[in-house]
Amino acid sequence: MLRSLLIGTFLVTMVLGYAVLAAPSHLSFIINDIHSPVFSAKKITANLSGGQLSQLKFHVGEIIIQGKIFRNVKFSCTKFQLAEHLIACADGSIHLPGFSTLAVAFRFIPHKKNLDIEIQSVAGESWRLALQWDVNSWWSVLSIAKGQVMHAVRWLPDIESMPIPAKGEVNGKVRLSGSMDGIARIAAAVHIDALAFSDRNGLRAGENVNMAIDFNAEHIQRNNKWQWQSEINWLAGEIFWQPLYFSGGGYNLNLAGVLSEKNIRLSNGKIASRDIGELDFSGLFARPDYDLVDFDLNATNLKLSTLFDQILKPFLRETAFSEMSVIGRSSFAWRYHQGVNQSLILDLHDVSLADQRDRFAFYRINAHIPWQMDGATIADISFLSGQVLRVPMGAVRVPLEINQFELRIPQLVVPVLDGKLKLENFIALQQDNNWRWQFHGELMPVSMKQLTRALQIQQMHGEISGVIPKVSYVNSTITLDGALLFNIFDGMVTAKNLKLVEPLGLVPHLTLDLAMKNIDLSLLTRTFSFGNMQGRIDMDMQNLELAGWRPVKFDAQLSSSAGSYPRRISQAAIQNISALGGASAVAAIQRSFLRFFEEFTYSKIGWQCSLRNNVCRMDGIEPASALEDFESQGYVIVKGGGIPAITVIGYNRNVGWQELINRLQRITQGNEPVIQ
Amino acid sequence: MNKLFSYLVLLVILLSLTLAAHARGTNIEINTPAITKLKQSMQQRHGQLAPYYTSGAVGLTRDGMIAMRDANAVPLAQRQSVNALVAAENQDRNALYREIARANSHPEWEKDIRATFSQRWISLAKSGWWYQAANGSWTKK
Repeated sequence: MLRSLLIGTFLVTMVLGYAVLAAPSHLSFIINDIHSPVFSAKKITANLSGGQLSQLKFHVGEIIIQGKIFRNVKFSCTKFQLAEHLIACADGSIHLPGFSTLAVAFRFIPHKKNLDIEIQSVAGESWRLALQWDVNSWWSVLSIAKGQVMHAVRWLPDIESMPIPAKGEVNGKVRLSGSMDGIARIAAAVHIDALAFSDRNGLRAGENVNMAIDFNAEHIQRNNKWQWQSEINWLAGEIFWQPLYFSGGGYNLNLAGVLSEKNIRLSNGKIASRDIGELDFSGLFARPDYDLVDFDLNATNLKLSTLFDQILKPFLRETAFSEMSVIGRSSFAWRYHQGVNQSLILDLHDVSLADQRDRFAFYRINAHIPWQMDGATIADISFLSGQVLRVPMGAVRVPLEINQFELRIPQLVVPVLDGKLKLENFIALQQDNNWRWQFHGELMPVSMKQLTRALQIQQMHGEISGVIPKVSYVNSTITLDGALLFNIFDGMVTAKNLKLVEPLGLVPHLTLDLAMKNIDLSLLTRTFSFGNMQGRIDMDMQNLELAGWRPVKFDAQLSSSAGSYPRRISQAAIQNISALGGASAVAAIQRSFLRFFEEFTYSKIGWQCSLRNNVCRMDGIEPASALEDFESQGYVIVKGGGIPAITVIGYNRNVGWQELINRLQRITQGNEPVIQ
Repeated sequence: MNKLFSYLVLLVILLSLTLAAHARGTNIEINTPAITKLKQSMQQRHGQLAPYYTSGAVGLTRDGMIAMRDANAVPLAQRQSVNALVAAENQDRNALYREIARANSHPEWEKDIRATFSQRWISLAKSGWWYQAANGSWTKK
């Protein structure tokens, strides 16, 4: 650098202002133009005056340093010394446009080749450079006290995403030494306090940041490389680096490596976080674009709760994992070589994770998951318990076969409440950056009592079980081929054409067709406290669609099952059926007659509801006009038969779904039904 | 009072959007349970977002979403939580457009519904709020 300054092309015109015979009282120097690789300057004038030429005034019309232009730069000194063995200024001042006037003092001893410059501001800021050289070498120390970082702003490129310092104070020393060929050693030990910086949009910003930086570098002449090591301690403050936010410091970064013309090799890199743990890394970046060529990252025993909350969660904001809490420990090792992922080994130690919306949870996960680019591996994953969509699961141990981006589980049995879900030939693979998976299996009997309790819905009895020919997940949709069989209320329920869109999304959509056969009305009505009914019913529920687990569409048809069985209906049940119909529903019974009987007989029950746009369009077994005694606008829900017989007719064809649910809840919660 | 006014504005916007959607003949049933739930969620969040719309920190994008426009208007310690609010709002908005299209039995209409909403959000935004023009530049209303 020094040489480059010295070998610049100079065009100098010097005018002696006063022809001397004796000692001059006035000297003027004019330099029209200076060019060098580091800076250029124009219209430089220097005037020496006063007794013993002790007053110096220096003016530069224009100076360009690293592309920055400064015009009308002034320097003056009233105690200037110019002698053979000393050139010095004890009380100079320099004025750069845009800066406050700074006090400057310098002392140059030519025969010792020693230069000492100190620049101070009124706020006590001081930058002192001590420079010494001999024929082949030079040494310098820059001592900074209360240095203001915003001086650096003028030298930074104007890029929207570049964080620019707004304030901050630097204290410390920077030592440079070298030869006439350039810098050979750098050693810096500085503290930066109360640093504030931000890019133009405030997406990379920091406030009150305190840090300590140690940096050492040495130039290796023989192969023209720089060998360096650094340590950065972030002690305090807050930093927002979209989308991450850190506060309070507690991070330590160690870097060491070699810089050459072709690449940067990192070795012995370490990031230590007080709240997370330590990560060790090394790598190779190709210049000039700093492309990543090799990278090794190793971490052991990281605290997952902080790692997830601080580092991972902000990147998962728009996924199903955005409201997840995680505890436990993790270790991992990632190897990237020649621009390709080679291997990743992830270990989880007693990890528990739970979605705050109760969509899923897994507790006490322990796992060893090795992945490698070439060849297959087997992962061992286990958890103690968990739940998906509120369905609890017991302990599971998964032997997961991994082959690049394909995962296989030959067989897995998941305890579900008192039953089991048996998965066979589970295959998951990544295609076009999306995962798809499939399996087939079997649901071994699960108690409806326990299941309904887990799902926090009306308790039911019976069992659910079935063979699952194929379940697949493609494009965020789970599709079930074949049928699921439920055994509830002593009858059989078949679920077909099941499709679940965005199962973990904000609004999961479930579509399926249900067919129920031979449901025991006595068990059903007892469960729902509806009033006793005896008999059996079939119910088809086609085109059932739930959005956000609430029904938006279905075509339901309920009718008495074929066969011979007792068909009785209690007075309470009749009243409740009538109450369900609302104010305009009429139970076609004689109130006086009703007083004498607790139970009636019927020949057939039938009810239909088509739900569209929140309205249930109802119908019955047949139009009421089919019965001689009634007018045509009604429909028969319960058709009498035997003695004493009862016939119930509905007149209200349309009812709001929510209103119907409210009525049902009032009835099943034991409120006294009211006959309208 | 301001909060009340904000809710009122949001209600008017949602109602207008419903009417606008009907007007273009999409026959949207806006009040399915899922849509109602999403609108309630957005309404609850609106009180938290309104100050950031007013300060210009958050703006309405041309694709019917919202975005952090000028983080400098938000104290450093709150920028991540505003990010989270924006992300949650965008999740709800995406789901809302999808649900309206589904409720209309035409999932493929989602893009058109989004475009309609985008225009209406902007036309019904309060004076001083920022929105993204068709060319992507930010404009103060």
